[in-house]
Amino acid sequence: MDLFANALNGIPLWWFLVVSAALFCIGLYGVMARKNAIAMLMGVELMLNAVNINLIAFWRFIAPNSPSGLAFAAFVFVIAAAEAAIGLALIISVYRSNQSIDPEKLDQMKL
Amino acid sequence: MALTLQQVIFLALAVVVIGAALFVVTTRNLFRAALMLVLSFFAVAGFYVLLDAGLFAVAQILIYIGAISILIIFSVMLTRGMQAMIPRNSQAFWSAVVVAIIFAMLLLLLGPLRTTVNVAAWPIIGSIFPNATPRELGAVPWAYAVEPATGLPAVVPETYIATFGFSLVDINQYVLPFLLVALLVDIALSGAVHIARQRRPIEVIQERQDIAAEDAAEAEAIRNAQQPAPVPAPALPEGAVAAATSAANEH
Repeated sequence: MDLFANALNGIPLWWFLVVSAALFCIGLYGVMARKNAIAMLMGVELMLNAVNINLIAFWRFIAPNSPSGLAFAAFVFVIAAAEAAIGLALIISVYRSNQSIDPEKLDQMKL
Repeated sequence: MALTLQQVIFLALAVVVIGAALFVVTTRNLFRAALMLVLSFFAVAGFYVLLDAGLFAVAQILIYIGAISILIIFSVMLTRGMQAMIPRNSQAFWSAVVVAIIFAMLLLLLGPLRTTVNVAAWPIIGSIFPNATPRELGAVPWAYAVEPATGLPAVVPETYIATFGFSLVDINQYVLPFLLVALLVDIALSGAVHIARQRRPIEVIQERQDIAAEDAAEAEAIRNAQQPAPVPAPALPEGAVAAATSAANEH
């Protein structure tokens, strides 16, 4: 099959894609099913990691001479750092005022 | 088929990544989840090494493990009492179902990744869309980068880090996103400092009083607007009207 062709030291592209899809789905489950805001942020970090594996795998297999894949991966890194900083600051602020970070209990902004 | 060394490393890393990630999303203890997240980040750095992107393996360790994990661990410690928690909410089962469906769809879509694949022979998708072309199913007409002489994967040029660095400051490539991202980090960090700042109780009280005063003023304005306009009294002496107006102004 086509996907099995062109393996890098024996590792074809689709192996990376399968692992990254699994990691993305696990992260998505963490975001949807956790009862703690910090645990949800951990799920988001897992999803961002999956995206980065995909970007760098495609860069390596399809366009190793172009910097595009690396540039996008670097932007994902930076945005992940910003997201973690803002998210955790919000969580700590919410914890101070509510003594809880269960997202289901945060309903002060409901009308 | 004998596995190559790289395949063995890949499979070990894959087991670590998936196992650690599953632990992160299922454990009760938030602190252990954070530590397993670090393990998962390490294994992802191993993937970057396998993909000849050593720069990103180092960046992964510096940024994710050095910065983001520390932030997460500090937050876990600062929110004590939330550590031993109920791990799942009420929609966990349906979340798992939805995620499993998404994963299955992603795996099926791996088939027609190349435009040359025979769609009719592909499981499930082939039976649903027997007459579709791969392009109609979202296949991308890419080509693997190969060495023309050998047909093996193209090697990463020695200067790839320099090429990547120049692309970030090249006016024809990524200088605008680069600057925007720099601005974003700047704003995000100062915003995070502002949001998480520990305010003194006197400031908090002052703020609440200000908000209460604003609310009261707003309610007063709404009540005034809802009152019907006063009917002008038909015949009042000159002096009485002037007194009433000045009293209203004072109020």
